[in-house]
This record gives sequence, C-alpha cells and structure tokens, in this order.
Amino acid sequence: MIYKISVPPVAEVEEIRVLEWQGAVGHRFNAGDLVVELETHKAIVEVRAAQPGYLRQILSAAGEWQEIGLPLAILSDEVDESLPDSSETLSDLAVEFSIT
Amino acid sequence: MSSDTSPPVEKIFFREAIARAAREEMRKTPEIIILGQDVGYFGGSYREFDGLFEEFGATRVRDTPVAEASMVGFGVGAAAAGLRPLVCITYMDFLMLGFDPLINYGAKLRFKTGGQLTAPVIVKTTAGAKGQGVAHSQCIEAWLMGVPGLKVVAPATPADAYGLLKAAFRETGPVVYVDHKRLFPIAGPVPLAETIVPIGKAAVRRAGTDLTITSHSFMVRTALEAAKMLEGEGIDAEVIDLRSLAPLDMATISESVRKTGAILTLEEGQVTAGVGAEVVSRVMETIGAVPFSRIGALPAPVSSNPILEAACLPSTGRVVQAAMALQRKKARGVNHVVAETIE
Amino acid sequence: MVHAVQIEMLRQMLLIREFERALGARKDHGFQLLSAGEEAVAVGLCSALRQGDQLLTGGRSIGPALARGADPNRVMAELLGRATGTNRGKGGRGHLADQGSGFFGAHAVVGGNISIAGGVALATQMLNRDNIVVIMFGDGAFGAGALHETLNMSASMRLPLLFVCNNNQLSVSTPRTAALAPKLLSDIGRPFGMPSRTVDGMDLDTVVMAAHEAADYVRSKQGPAFLECISYRFSSHSTTARETRSAEELCSIRALCPIDKKMGEMMAAGLIDADTKIAIVESAKAVVRGALEFADASPFPDVREALTDVI
Repeated sequence: MIYKISVPPVAEVEEIRVLEWQGAVGHRFNAGDLVVELETHKAIVEVRAAQPGYLRQILSAAGEWQEIGLPLAILSDEVDESLPDSSETLSDLAVEFSIT
Repeated sequence: MSSDTSPPVEKIFFREAIARAAREEMRKTPEIIILGQDVGYFGGSYREFDGLFEEFGATRVRDTPVAEASMVGFGVGAAAAGLRPLVCITYMDFLMLGFDPLINYGAKLRFKTGGQLTAPVIVKTTAGAKGQGVAHSQCIEAWLMGVPGLKVVAPATPADAYGLLKAAFRETGPVVYVDHKRLFPIAGPVPLAETIVPIGKAAVRRAGTDLTITSHSFMVRTALEAAKMLEGEGIDAEVIDLRSLAPLDMATISESVRKTGAILTLEEGQVTAGVGAEVVSRVMETIGAVPFSRIGALPAPVSSNPILEAACLPSTGRVVQAAMALQRKKARGVNHVVAETIE
Repeated sequence: MVHAVQIEMLRQMLLIREFERALGARKDHGFQLLSAGEEAVAVGLCSALRQGDQLLTGGRSIGPALARGADPNRVMAELLGRATGTNRGKGGRGHLADQGSGFFGAHAVVGGNISIAGGVALATQMLNRDNIVVIMFGDGAFGAGALHETLNMSASMRLPLLFVCNNNQLSVSTPRTAALAPKLLSDIGRPFGMPSRTVDGMDLDTVVMAAHEAADYVRSKQGPAFLECISYRFSSHSTTARETRSAEELCSIRALCPIDKKMGEMMAAGLIDADTKIAIVESAKAVVRGALEFADASPFPDVREALTDVI
C-alpha cells in the first residue's frame, strides 16, 4: 500500500521549512524511526514513523517550504509498489510528532 | 518576451529577517548593541536574535532585568554618547514605562541641546493581541505618531522587517520599530542582496480602483483577505501598507484616494485618535472631502478569552461590510460614513 | 590643597553666587532654580573631574554648569533666551548642555537624567574610554524608580558612574525626612555593593576630599559609587515657589554659608588677606557683568528656530 506523510497539525503554525530527511529514497523506516525534521517559526518538529515503510518520493526537499496538512513525501509497504500520479487519494502514514 | 526582473530572494521566517538585518548591521557597525530580556543566549522571545549572542558575545547582546524605564533610558543615553543601541521591549504594552526617557529626553534631545546631541536609538517592540490578555495585547503606535523628533515604523512582511530595520540603524535620532505577535509565524521572500527599505514610504500591496484600504502591521493581511472577498462582490480595492507611521507617506496615500474616491483605514489599535484618524484628516486636507470609514478594535480592553478577543479585533468580515457600506455612500455622493455599530 | 587651587575654588563659588544673584535681579529672569548655599557641592565635585568626564544634572543646573567650566557668557545668554546661548537659546536652564566643557547636560524632569547617565556610562565602558560619568540629583529625585533601576544595572554592569545626591533636605515644600525612608540617603548604594558615603555639603574641603575619593574609585573601573552631600538651599525651590521656612530658620541656615566659611578659614590661616578677598569678589562680579553684557548684546533666536533640529 502507498502512503503519504503530510505536515502535521502543529498549533499556531501556517507553514514549515523542511530541515532534514533522515534517509534517502529507498530507505526503510521502522516504527519509531525519525523520518524528517521540520522547522516552524518557533521550534523544530520531529516526525517519527508509527509504522514501517519505504521512502519512495520526496515532495518537499530540505530547505523547501510546505503548508500545514499538505504532503511532504510518499512511502510504501513494499519497496517496488508502483506509485500513483497524484498524492491526493493516498492514506496517511501513521506518524507521531513532537516539538522541541 | 517578458523576463522576471525582480531580484533573487530567499524565503525566510519573519524572525529570521530581523536576525539577518541585525547580524549584517552588527558586523559592519561595532557600536550596535542589543539590550532586552532574553535576547542573549535565549535568542530573543521570538528567536528574532538567533545566533547573534554566539557571534557577537554577551557585551553586545545583553540581557537586562525587567526594568523598561531604565532599559529605554540606558539605550537613549548610550545613543547620545556614541553607541547605536537597539532596545527590545518584548510587549508594546510596557513601552509605556519607557515613555519618559524616550519622549521627554530622546525625542527632544537634538532640539533641546541646540543640535549638540542626538540619540540614534531603536526601540523595537512587539504589539498585538494573541490570547495573552488585557495588559499584553495593545497596539499603541498611534500614541507615538505625534511626538516631534520620533520616527515610527511598522513592517508587515519579512522583507520589510529586514529592510526597515536596516534603515532604522541609519537614522540619527530615535526610531520605534513596531512588529506584531501574529507576524512571527509568517514566512516570506527577502532579497538576497543587501536592501534598505526607506522610512517614510508606503507600499501598494494590491492595485485597485474602487476604494483605498490603508493599513499597517498584521492588519495588512486582513486587508488583503478582505480585498479578495470584495472581488466577489464586484468591488476592486487598492490596499496600501503604510510601513511608516511617522512620517506618513501622504503622497502615495493621497494619489490613491484621488484615484479611488474613498478610503477605509484599518488598524488593530483603537480608532479614537488612531492611525486612521490621522490618515483620513491628512487625506482630506490634501484632496478635499471623501467618503471614509475607520476600522479598529472595539473600544474595550482585549481579553485573553478567545471569544471576547475575536469579537474585539477587526475581522475580515467587518472590513468587507464596512467597505461595501462605503461603496454605497460613495455611489450616493455622501462624504461621511456613520461609525459602524457592532451587533 | 594647593593655595592657588583653593583660591580658584573660592572664586568659582563666588561666581556662582553672584551670577545667580544678578540673574535673579533681572525682570526677565524667567523660571529659574537657584542654588545659593549649595556652591560647595558643585565646586567641590567638579574639582575632582578631569577633561573628558561627563557631568549630568537635574534642573538645578547653573551652579554645576559654571563649576564644570561652561562659559558664563554663553550660560547667561542661554538663560536669557539668546541665540548665542550654549543651546542656541532653545533649552534654557532645564536643559543646559555644553559638550566642550564636559557638561553633558541638565534635564528638567526630576530623576529623568539618572537612567540616561547610566546609558552614557555604558557607552563610555563599551567604547573603551577612560573618563567617568557623574549624575547629580537632589533628594527630590531620590524617590524615583529610575534611581533604583540605575543603581542596579550600573552595579551589575560595573559601569564608571558616580552618583552624587545633593541632598538639600527639601523637595519644594517636602522635608526629606517626610518623604524618604533611609536613615542616610547614601545607604541605598550599599545593597548594590558600591562604596557609599554621606558628607557635609556645606564644607568645601570635605566635599573636595570625598569627591576625589569617589571619583578615583570609579576611575579604577571597579564599578559605581554613591556620594551624598548634605546641604541647604538659601532660597525657595524656584523663582516662582513660595518659601516654606521661617525667617529665623533661614537666618540660621544662611549662617552656614560655604563661601563665608571657606573665606574665613583661608583668612584665618593667612592664605588670603583683605585685599585678595576684595580682588576675588570683584573678579567674580566682573565676569558676571561681562556675561550680562554679552547676553544683552546677543540677538534672540529667529522664530524659524522653532522648527530646526526637531528630527
């Protein structure tokens, strides 16, 4: 199955800057792994996978901006599942986020 | 074939724009120091001084006790004696404590000494309501506009936060630099090249033909949202970001109202003796009577209660309603608008 | 103290006394705060100041400005509103300033110059200058929050700032003991860890010694110091304020005149004779006459000066 990770609903934030992806396309994240760090106007947001998945496509690279709720990347259960054209209909990957 | 001639930019947070301006200026001008609460290791209440403590050290980026009267007094006195201080007053509500040294000494120093001394100090302060209650929400910049000897600026974008701060560091007298709590979450383009935004120059944010909306600080965003909604009502609003409250750019404002024939002023502060009162008076002194409307906070303290705060502050809806009423008056050739009543 | 220095200080005190007397005798004297009785504080303090030191005061500025070395001609011109005044006629007594002599300036707001002086001291420290900054204020300013805040920050930052409280024991009509709690006003310096001292402000030699001691400490860059000089003013608070003391009280106060005291001491010690005394007095009077002539011969500012140097 194909999933997307979107910018989590951080309170009082309109948009974030992507700081750093913790793996390249093809990397397998386990549940609990840090996937990406995002920067708000105040703090850093750590987004951790709550289920395993392969990183397949980065939609917002490090240094780029994205709004709350919009997609950052596409992941999949299996490394070779074919990707859809648009990320609109994808389910969200289960994640946990914390603000430091 | 058209080409994009606008300069290369970087998209950064509002706070990063302030830090960038301060850093550039502090590298060039050793006399610049920063005084305030939590400006040092903490990097500023909004992280607007991030990195400066690490680069310039504790003597140039100095934490002071909570003592706004003497913070401003020290800043003004140090400026008179050769430094270029930036005094950071975290909440504009507490700038009132510093009014004596700022207004009675700083703003009058050049005049009262017959030109022997001046005080090139920047007092940076954050205005606006964001859930923090009656004594931590005020926008009182209008109170300062009429002080001879004092300049007042209010950026609404990261680019102007950067450019106006650089301009302020070039002034020879005191400048109050007013930012806003609700501007800090915003990111926007800032020229990569060193760029100064001149004090005394407004910016037309949206060209239009039916009415002029003037605003400053966070309310510029509300004005632009209202303008979008007014499009749907067939009303084409011109939105002017004042940027500089003292001196006001009356040339830009008057030219706009000459074109549109009506003016709506929008501020988060009080309308009584507010920024809009001054703008409208001066417009009429220049071009004669025009229909006008002034929008500001309700005449009440702004509670931290989210329901009451939202009711107090100008909303996009109120601006749209007022603009539509203004258009109707304009169409009937009526040159005054009865003050809005809030239900 | 060297003989010549003592004579010069005596002359300065006489100059201040005569200057203010002549000013007060004019119909056009304006709103003035005069300092008869307090000359030893101004002159004694300034004897410890060097070129480059910066003196800031409150509104009772004439004595300190003259003692600091401001040109009496230009001070008189300023007080009488002439364009040739130190402030081009635009500040008056409440804002007298003369950068050339190290009189950074007076400020008419009670206590208003105290945190300003803290800032001047901060700049002095950060620009690696070796001079000191002196803030002179009265018991009337002692109750202001600005004093507490400036004591704290200047001590914390170890600034080269000397606090001089000229305690003439009356704030317009309010006796100092009715308004201020500390036993000695200099007690306020102690919690901030600065050397603090109270001396008799009516005795020139005492003020000279105490001012040198305090200034030397501040010059050593160890931080601020606090000096209280207890004095008496011989007249009411200002040229418009009513006198609050009885004739008897004033009589016994005037018997403490620091000028008479110093004059008497020097004559008794054989340092000056009757002829020298006359010469010193005449010299002071001549300077004051010259100042009045200079002021009277000077133009008033052009009315357009109302809008110059505003911003």
